[in-house]
Amino acid sequence: MRLRHPLLAALVILVLGGLLSLVLADYRLRLLNVSVISAIAVIGFNFAFGLAGLISLGSAAFVGFGAYSLAILTTAAGWSPWLAMIVAIVVTTLFATIIGTPLLRLKGHYLALATLGLNVSFTIVATNWIGLTGGTNGISNIPGLSLAGFAFDDERRFLWLALLFLAVCAAIAIALQHSRHGRAMMAVRDDETAARMIGIDVTRVKIAALCLSAAFAGLAGVLFATHMRFVAPEDFNYAHSIVYLAMLIVGGEGSVAGAIIGAVLLTFLPEWLRFLGDAYLAFFGLMLLLILIFLPTGLIGLATRVRDLAKKTAKRSTP
Amino acid sequence: MDFTRQQFLKLALAASLASIGAGAALAQQGEILVGATVPMTGPLSLTGKQYHNSLRMAEQDINAAGGINGRKVKFVFEDTQASNGTAVNAFMKLSQEVKPSFYFLSSYSTQNLAVSPEVKKIAVPAMYAGGADVVAEGGNEWLFRVRPADSVSAAGMVEAAKLLGAKKPGILFIQNDFGQGGAQIAAKLLEAAGTPVVGMEAYGQNDKDFSAQMLALRSKGADVILMFVYPQDGALLLRQAKMLGMKMPIVTSSAALVPAALQLISPGDLENVSGVVDAYMDPAAGGRMKDFIERYRAAYGIDPDPYGLAYYDGALIMAEGMRKVGTDPKALRDWLAQLRDWKGIGHVYSYDAKGNGVHDLAVVKAKPGTKTFELVKTITVN
Amino acid sequence: MADFIQLFVNGLALGSVYALAALGFVIVYSATGVVNFAAGQFVMLGTFSGVAMMVNLGLPWPIGYGAALLAMVAFGMLFFTLVYLPLRASPVVTVIIGTVAVGIILQNAALLGFGSWPFRLTSPLEGVTLDIAGAVITAHAALTVVVTAVLVGLIWLLFYRTALGIGMRAVAQDMEAARLMGLNVNLLLALTWVLAAVLAGIAGLLLGPMWFADVNMGDPIALKAFAATIIGGFGSLPGAIAGGLIVGLTELLGASYISSAYKDLIAFVVMILFLLVRPQGVFGERIQDRG
Repeated sequence: MRLRHPLLAALVILVLGGLLSLVLADYRLRLLNVSVISAIAVIGFNFAFGLAGLISLGSAAFVGFGAYSLAILTTAAGWSPWLAMIVAIVVTTLFATIIGTPLLRLKGHYLALATLGLNVSFTIVATNWIGLTGGTNGISNIPGLSLAGFAFDDERRFLWLALLFLAVCAAIAIALQHSRHGRAMMAVRDDETAARMIGIDVTRVKIAALCLSAAFAGLAGVLFATHMRFVAPEDFNYAHSIVYLAMLIVGGEGSVAGAIIGAVLLTFLPEWLRFLGDAYLAFFGLMLLLILIFLPTGLIGLATRVRDLAKKTAKRSTP
Repeated sequence: MDFTRQQFLKLALAASLASIGAGAALAQQGEILVGATVPMTGPLSLTGKQYHNSLRMAEQDINAAGGINGRKVKFVFEDTQASNGTAVNAFMKLSQEVKPSFYFLSSYSTQNLAVSPEVKKIAVPAMYAGGADVVAEGGNEWLFRVRPADSVSAAGMVEAAKLLGAKKPGILFIQNDFGQGGAQIAAKLLEAAGTPVVGMEAYGQNDKDFSAQMLALRSKGADVILMFVYPQDGALLLRQAKMLGMKMPIVTSSAALVPAALQLISPGDLENVSGVVDAYMDPAAGGRMKDFIERYRAAYGIDPDPYGLAYYDGALIMAEGMRKVGTDPKALRDWLAQLRDWKGIGHVYSYDAKGNGVHDLAVVKAKPGTKTFELVKTITVN
Repeated sequence: MADFIQLFVNGLALGSVYALAALGFVIVYSATGVVNFAAGQFVMLGTFSGVAMMVNLGLPWPIGYGAALLAMVAFGMLFFTLVYLPLRASPVVTVIIGTVAVGIILQNAALLGFGSWPFRLTSPLEGVTLDIAGAVITAHAALTVVVTAVLVGLIWLLFYRTALGIGMRAVAQDMEAARLMGLNVNLLLALTWVLAAVLAGIAGLLLGPMWFADVNMGDPIALKAFAATIIGGFGSLPGAIAGGLIVGLTELLGASYISSAYKDLIAFVVMILFLLVRPQGVFGERIQDRG
């Protein structure tokens, strides 16, 4: 399954997700909601990492920035969640630009660890700026979203909203990926010098990738806050950034479908393993390792390989 | 034996009634399910293990005592890890797949806060042990706390500091919901008592060296140090305080005095140390306390702590409520809300309008040269 | 002043532990390009090897330490065979996530094996304290500083004065060229992982008595080791030491003279500033993008 057309991808997400929303019960709907929110963040992260090759381990900080912005604007300032949502995404993107631009001079692991440090710093500030963030007690009683009297207040209704956002995000991402801009990002990833030679403004492309990924992360954060109705520093620590990276790798980097599949799999897998009792996380780690070893190009890579194999056999059988 | 006909008839009647009763019990389909979301992996499992154990013990005890009017209870556990999101997942898995009649949540306030909206949605009573006052302030009528709130602990520590004649108290606290909240309340109380704190120092959950914080408090002239800690760092703090030659008395929150922490330190580290504990647990108290401690030790090979005891008491309260009013959530909630002066092993439980059931705690002091404690005073805060 | 000396001494001891953890991290990174996210769990495993040998089996400390380090040698080989070799052809980021998976496995396997209660590993120098210009330090903490210094010296000798070490560096610099030169690349890579595991083991054994042994101790250590590595310079041995000490001292002096609530922020801001101003770190060589 390789979706190249943005509208087709959006349709598939809406139809598949919509069908699931009708048959699943609350607990799995919640996990699906968590997956969808993560998927939006991971699709965003794919711009920075999958396309532009920037290893950022600070995605959770951007998600947190969005979530906290919405939480503060709605609870302390009493704004409407929709208005707060827009402002939160804009603020997150600005924050990423201001903080991220100087960091973009760094490459490879240096960038990875600097953004990891950024994430740790975010958690420390969120923990200690008690007046603004409520410290470790976090912010509760965040209002939910509603539209014309229809409140997205249970898991099923929220999923419909989240799916809509995911569909739009996926469509945008796919369209961008196959545009001039997406190819510019990939050119920067593959060879910066060569990209510069053919007239690509490398710095601008990198900043654009970072901004896109921050905007998506901000949206994920906003959805997180309105879904959970509670935010605390722990929800956005650096371990979550590593999980986002893992989701992309497991799904298949560079691919929007991979980002979504990875997000769903890594959200559901530990929950599926709960029947193993105290050993379930050890098994989760083991399965993650096995996936990495046996599917080095992610689940999407597996799909591609199967398809190629099918084509080959088809060719052979037709003389 | 000479039966009269009347006696025979009476017996026959009794037997047939009993069999009808048994039939009715069968018709109720056996077990009453109780859900418990407990941190069993990750850093919080140190405390979580205690109530995982004591809830299992309560399950056996309730069933051994005839269950709930003949029906057995069955506890179903799910892991929360050290994560709010996972705590909600665990709760929803239970509420969806097990549909328990009652819940026990973890002892961590942020997890309680995260789960609170879900508890409200399904409207089934739940007991929790997170200390943060904000959980009770949230106004969720389905939540019932089985431990003293952090404000009670802080008040107890301030009282203990006063008993030590503190004029220039200093505060050292862990940077989490418990430490930040407790330290702020204690600072306000000390201010009100005319002995404002000379310094407040924080440390991170994962810190291993506390010399900067302790030396800062000493140089500010602190004559008593109140420390708000978790078990492991609490033990390390007490050890380092002695290393650094801190002479002033130390008042610690309860976590540094749980068995998991005490096994890490030497009697010398407890010199001049007093503290508050949720419940004073000494087998010498005899009766149910002695019985609980000894059976817990025998079953799990470790000493119980007040967290475990709180959940045990909570489970017995739940059992009594179910016996009295059945498992209808609303009836059970109302019964809990009106509960007054219920004598548990650790406390006397009386629920107030905010769902706080425990209003007292104990100030204890280490007996010189030992790792045992004597009761200094029981403090009740309303 | 006495307080300052005390903080300085404690900062050195704390920094030594970070430095030791950072050493294993740096050696792996320079040889394989892998950022080992299980580095903290490697250290935890070292501590618990000590717990298994000395607390559970009750071996006397010289034998216990030896046995624990042998266990770490075995672990290093196991890791190389079961994790690194199968992943070697994958992109580096995949290997990194692989180390995350290994970290999860180790932490939870330790939880299953040892439970959630912390252990106290006693030191051979238990109870001995030293007085340095009014500052008190345990003999064990002083030993940690000394062992760190000695290890750095030994590793330097290994890398720059022995054929084996020079081979390892050659593999680190260019694996293909090393292979063409007839070096047994796999053996040298295996040795790298074993060396990293043993160093983590030593760090674990040393910090067991200073802190407590608990199965979740890995991540916090790794985080500080990362910071140390960056400040010191990636791939630089003296850098790891300098970085560790800088992080340890910043943590204590920052907490004392600036703010205890924000002291970790200070360490990470220092780290980010270093990255921006001098990304090669204190001792790092010129940056090469290893991607």
